[in-house]
Amino acid sequence: MSTLDLLVLFGTLAFIVIYGTYKTSGSKDIEGYLKGGNSMKWGAIGLSVMATQASAITFLSTPGQAYEDGMRFVQNYFGLPIALIIVSAVFIPIFYKLKVYTAYEYLENRFDVKTRFLGAFLFLVQRGLAAGVTIYAPAIILSKILGWNLNITILLVGLLVVIYTVSGGTKAVTLTQKYQMAIIMGGMVIAFFMVIDNFPDYISFNDAIRVAGKMGKLNAVDFKWDFSERYTFWSGITGGTFLALSYFGTDQSQVQRYLSGKSITESRMGLMFNALLKVPMQFFILFVGIMVFIFYQFHKPPVFFKQHELNAIYETDYANDVKKLDDRFNEVYESKKERVKVLVEAMNNGNGDAVQVAKDEVVTLENEAKSIRSEVKDILLKSDPEMETKDSDYVFITFVMSHLPKGIIGLLIAVIFSAAMSSTSAELNALGSTTTIDFYKRLIRKEGSDKHYVIASKWLTVMWGGLAVMFAFFATLAENLIELVNILGSIFYGTILGIFIVAFFFKYIRGHAVFISAIIVQAIVIYCYFFTDIAYLLFNVIGCALVVIIGFLIQLFMNKQPSSSAEGD
Amino acid sequence: MKEPAKEFEKEQQPPFFKTWKGMYTFVLAFLATLILLFHLFTKIYE
Repeated sequence: MSTLDLLVLFGTLAFIVIYGTYKTSGSKDIEGYLKGGNSMKWGAIGLSVMATQASAITFLSTPGQAYEDGMRFVQNYFGLPIALIIVSAVFIPIFYKLKVYTAYEYLENRFDVKTRFLGAFLFLVQRGLAAGVTIYAPAIILSKILGWNLNITILLVGLLVVIYTVSGGTKAVTLTQKYQMAIIMGGMVIAFFMVIDNFPDYISFNDAIRVAGKMGKLNAVDFKWDFSERYTFWSGITGGTFLALSYFGTDQSQVQRYLSGKSITESRMGLMFNALLKVPMQFFILFVGIMVFIFYQFHKPPVFFKQHELNAIYETDYANDVKKLDDRFNEVYESKKERVKVLVEAMNNGNGDAVQVAKDEVVTLENEAKSIRSEVKDILLKSDPEMETKDSDYVFITFVMSHLPKGIIGLLIAVIFSAAMSSTSAELNALGSTTTIDFYKRLIRKEGSDKHYVIASKWLTVMWGGLAVMFAFFATLAENLIELVNILGSIFYGTILGIFIVAFFFKYIRGHAVFISAIIVQAIVIYCYFFTDIAYLLFNVIGCALVVIIGFLIQLFMNKQPSSSAEGD
Repeated sequence: MKEPAKEFEKEQQPPFFKTWKGMYTFVLAFLATLILLFHLFTKIYE
């Protein structure tokens, strides 16, 4: 990276940390520290909710996903507005009425203290692990691309986030997220125009879209009723609603964002802001990936985007095999470039037959290029069976580093760091709050001063920051740890959502029944993970449904027992 | 002078809409329009 890039990167990061710390330090009361003094307007809440969800990996992976697989991933977000309406209409009024700091406080009010502890504990385990990955995932990519030391990169992100999150609490998280979102979206818009600007003269923006369409990349909606397809309209509307409901309704890192609102209306509007903008935003980020794909039809892409691993293979006995494949890949690229040119001319001349012929040739060559890339990946796997050969996360960052001018590279790296910091700060803030309110204040010190709880919350946030960094350090030992954390999340999320669904919609089921049900279901889900082949994403649905069904049956049984009527929840 | 209950109700109103139901209908209609546009986008450039 050039000096200008480093200046832009560190200038941006320093501004966020210093400004966030300076403007928000000094909260003396717990409401000011954990709920931002309930002073946030809907715009700030909306950006904060958006920034919490959008981690660095979103901006690294999503364009790469579009590059590989087209626009269809956008369907995953179709259920999000529906889930946000449910949270706004059902969850928020109850959280406000009870004036809770955490979502799990509500569980004590509705059921009993043990159910509250269970919900809070499951959240801490899952989010504590996820916070480590939120730091680790971008750090591993940036350290490889920039040649930085991985541990120093992890420590840099962790330390910067801890400084302002501990100093200003929720207010600092929300304030910095506002600027981080501005940097992120500004950077992505600049990247979009820079890609288009780098197209050859004979390709207009409209040509680029038409070529992408002919190559099957603009597959934004698929109404096919096919369960083997990962992303369809139906899976987005059903599964997407379900996942977004668990995340926005029961995950304290999100609940804390909208509970900082000045009023119930501000909180609801913050969610409606996301309900309106999130789908177009994801569409835009995917579309940037499509434009990068078109760019690489006219500029030779690497045969494998993880350049570090590709360079390393040239030092092994497999060097000749890879060299041959790389040469073939170059030939295919050159032929494809020419055929795409012919396709554009045919489309502009309105020659339907010529368009069909050129399109078929381009698609055949694209498939050949894909097959060569697969062969290279097979060789890389032979050389190192533990290697992660999925390289789509590296597509966008490779484009940025290789083709954007000085200064803009620094800004785009700042986008990745900002995204990592914004989601990590919200996670640490929520972990610190939950530990303070649901365990420390409830179990250890029930009658403390506000100042005492603010100090306790700060120390607990530091502790979670340290744990997240430690976990990120250990993540280097296992390449598949990211998937492991996703699995852990899916194992616990279903149970947590099930408890909340019972709390909101099944008044018949009470504390003991839901607690026993949640414990049984958690054991069933863990059993299913180890002894069945069920896809782990389905654990969300299975866990939630089983908590409701088993809870209902237990309650039915308990109601038939004369002594159970004494249950006081 | 307005009654406190009415004042409270007004305070809970979303901007631009009389009720939250109206706001939610608007959000769902917006989502449906987006999906329709994406579908047309897919079909036109296929």
